[in-house]
Amino acid sequence: MIYFDSAATTLEKPPQVPRISAWAMTHLASPGRGGHAPGMGAAELMYHMREQAARLFHVGDPERVVLTCNATHGLNIAIRSLVGPGGTAVISGYEHNAVTRPLYAIPGVKVKVAAGALFDPDGVYAAFEREVTPDVDAVICNHVSNVFGFIQPVDRIAKLCKKRGVPFIVDASQSAGTLDVDLEGWGAAFVAMPGHKGLYGPQGTGLLLCGGEAQPLLYGGTGSLSARQDMPDFLPDRLEAGTHNVCGAAGLLAGMRFVSQKGVGRIHAHERALAGRMMDRLERVPGVTVFRGDSQSGLCSILIDGMDCEDVGEELAHRGIAVRAGLHCAPLAHQTAGTQDTGTVRLSFSAFNCSDQVDRAAAVIRTLAGTAEK
Amino acid sequence: MVYYLIICRSLTYAQRTAQVLERVGISGSVQRAPRIISKEGCGYCVRVAERRLTDALTVLRREGMAPKQVFLQTAEGEYSEVKP
Repeated sequence: MIYFDSAATTLEKPPQVPRISAWAMTHLASPGRGGHAPGMGAAELMYHMREQAARLFHVGDPERVVLTCNATHGLNIAIRSLVGPGGTAVISGYEHNAVTRPLYAIPGVKVKVAAGALFDPDGVYAAFEREVTPDVDAVICNHVSNVFGFIQPVDRIAKLCKKRGVPFIVDASQSAGTLDVDLEGWGAAFVAMPGHKGLYGPQGTGLLLCGGEAQPLLYGGTGSLSARQDMPDFLPDRLEAGTHNVCGAAGLLAGMRFVSQKGVGRIHAHERALAGRMMDRLERVPGVTVFRGDSQSGLCSILIDGMDCEDVGEELAHRGIAVRAGLHCAPLAHQTAGTQDTGTVRLSFSAFNCSDQVDRAAAVIRTLAGTAEK
Repeated sequence: MVYYLIICRSLTYAQRTAQVLERVGISGSVQRAPRIISKEGCGYCVRVAERRLTDALTVLRREGMAPKQVFLQTAEGEYSEVKP
């Protein structure tokens, strides 16, 4: 199989990831719940994981690295911490349902969309400049669109937020592991990310980097201040009620070590080269629309004239090529780009893909396009 | 042996404290704080040797991690709070 759905989950992992996860299951217990060796071993592993993340994402203090179930979990904490009933949030036109659904669940919330044209960072920035006013409770923007790979101008948006005194939440779901994610440089209130995409960890892991005060989403035991009935006021305990996913954290640590050793810049360059190669080939195929721009990471979206995107996904799956078709849980992004009626077919790459796979998949897509009803 | 227990607000903070000390060659082990001194329940501390306490406190203050509570643990297993 050729797997081009890494924007959803990277399937091929460094071998040490499943190895350490499996080892953790039978050798490590609950961190913070006992002074015995398996408990303290788990605590040590969790600390190494936080430290590794702190180094990778410029967090001064490992305590501010919170283990979550996924990026959605982190985004829910971040949004609930900053936007209350009747509050106002400004979001980009490329946000995922992981941002929009938690927002719309807040009673009386006002959501302003700073929409700019696809692959136009200046246009996106100008939209934020118009919408971000000091009365806004939070600005939320993904670093990279999960549909189009559009790299949004988060550096500039971060500066704007700082200048206007508005907390900034970054959804780094598609950039953690491939672009520089910089909590302190951005001065962000929160940065949320999954562990199972560009960090090559297991599903069920994510990180929330906290630059500001956070409110718990879950309440329960933390192994600290047990005599009190309110949640601890310090991180990470405040946001980590209940038993940790230690096996997941172990795999995530191994995944982040892999990313650090390989180099974020090198991984990005590799994926971008693969995406570029794919788009070069597909742009020459009559009937194929390629969504391409300068400010783009290592994923791309396409459409084939006369074929429903889901049919393309299905046909490719039958031929051993795994892609993602549809709205990618991001109807707003499709609405902004004008593809809400068609959806797109997304091809996304990882450090483990190679150019030969791109060429083979491009040939199959060319055949499909040739046979599509016009 | 007499030890000092540097009380920490969380396990992660205790680990960070031990790491800061380790970097300057002060050995400190992370352990659960004895119930008798952890009034709010389930806490962690870093245990350092008696002769290293002054250096440890200097380093922690320099790092902005001055402890709020320190206890002396006697050879008999008794605890008494000392001014950090």
